[in-house]
Amino acid sequence: MTGGMAPSIEIESIGGSLAGDVQARSGTSPMSCFQCAKCSSGCPVAARADIKPHELVRMVQMDQREAVLSSRFIWECTSCQTCATRCPQNVSVAGMNDALRAMSRAAAAPAPSTVPAFTEVFLDAVRNRGRVSELALMIRYKLRTGRFFEDADKAPVMLKKGKLPLFGTQVGGKSERKALFARAAKGGAK
Amino acid sequence: MSYTFFPGCSLEGSAKDFHSSTMAVAAKLGLGLPELKDWICCGSTAAHASDPLLADALPAKSLSAAGGATVAVACAACYSRLKTANHHIASDAALRAKVAEVVGRDYDGRTPVLHMLEILCRDVGLDRIAAAVSRPLSGLKVACYYGCLLARPPEITNFDDAENPTLMDKLMEAAGAEPVDWPYKTECCGASASITDSSIVLDLGNKILAMAQTAGADCIVTACPLCQLNLDLRQKDMEARFGRTYNLPVFYFTQLLGLAMGCPADKLSLASLVVEPQALLQAKGIGAEA
Ligand code: SF4
Ligand code: SF4
Repeated sequence: MTGGMAPSIEIESIGGSLAGDVQARSGTSPMSCFQCAKCSSGCPVAARADIKPHELVRMVQMDQREAVLSSRFIWECTSCQTCATRCPQNVSVAGMNDALRAMSRAAAAPAPSTVPAFTEVFLDAVRNRGRVSELALMIRYKLRTGRFFEDADKAPVMLKKGKLPLFGTQVGGKSERKALFARAAKGGAK
Repeated sequence: MSYTFFPGCSLEGSAKDFHSSTMAVAAKLGLGLPELKDWICCGSTAAHASDPLLADALPAKSLSAAGGATVAVACAACYSRLKTANHHIASDAALRAKVAEVVGRDYDGRTPVLHMLEILCRDVGLDRIAAAVSRPLSGLKVACYYGCLLARPPEITNFDDAENPTLMDKLMEAAGAEPVDWPYKTECCGASASITDSSIVLDLGNKILAMAQTAGADCIVTACPLCQLNLDLRQKDMEARFGRTYNLPVFYFTQLLGLAMGCPADKLSLASLVVEPQALLQAKGIGAEA
């Protein structure tokens, strides 16, 4: 140490930072990124994204909490794992985006996407029936989002092709599953 | 080795044809695939994008009931979730304890999980596959499309080369088809953005179809219900939006393998494909057992 002077970079303060929060939730270390942009060159949605993967990591490093949590990109990520597979620093933008989605919901940031609605109806189905019937899922999703006319031509084709059975199977143990979801929500809350 | 089959939700719905053709191929090979009793949904993207603990607990509940058998999976997305949960639980004692609390029983993360491509290529073996082929798919040029989740990330799935997987290519070769050399084997189709923002799927799917066509493929072969649905059901929309004509049938690998093995037509369920494959199959002299 140089003559008792305070270090100019407080590594410890990262614990309360956006990077620290993301790391705690996802197990991936945003601070390891050295901005090579390899993640962005392979990312299938980078071309349309408001923030590209390497930019997102940089913004997380720089504690740009609001901009990150309200970005479109964290919802457009398809979880394809290309970034995580190729990153020379073992950073997973895919994993960061999972964490950021959850944080964005927890902070009640406006989500420029219907992904949260889809996630909710999907997990409700798993909780209630143990399995997901795609037809019921689509109907619930449309009721939640009001997007009735989008893809209205698809369901008849799928029905005709036998791709949308009217009755899905389900498994017993609903109350046990409800308890499992409740315990996960408690244990998962950081 | 004894297997227990984890179908997953898609194989009971939009990918029923994947289910029945998988069973038909297994039956031809004398491969027993009894269904895992009381399996529940793997949680898919919905779980891992909202609650990491739930995303590990849902697979753990199913996998802990496998009773020592290897869990066989056809859906690439289920495969990815089951393997990821295994990886997390087996490598992190604290997480294992948490998952045990949530699920209500301890699970060590060590139930083996294999994709049907791995089972057919490695356990059954390409020799036995080739020997079961009675109607080789001669002259059929196929673009083997693996999608994202089979090969990535490699430290979790341990499936094949992450950038250039070849298991499906080898299987198609054993069936007498000609896999084309193309660079989009593991590009992303947009997956569940199909529901939340289909413009993503139209963009990505169009690039995949265009590349397959450029490479000279007659059709696409898939191993994932989302890949199949996105490229097949939305192919007309892609053609319309980008002013192209593809007319590329999108098969499950089990459907083509079943054709080569002479499985009954109703079991292969080719009628459920949206882009009709009949003209192509007839032109190549390929037909199913009536
Ligand atoms: S590939 Fe890894 S190190 Fe390179 S910019 Fe992306 S996150 Fe950073
Ligand atoms: S996982 Fe998300 S961020 Fe990473 S390459 Fe795929 S779409 Fe891009």
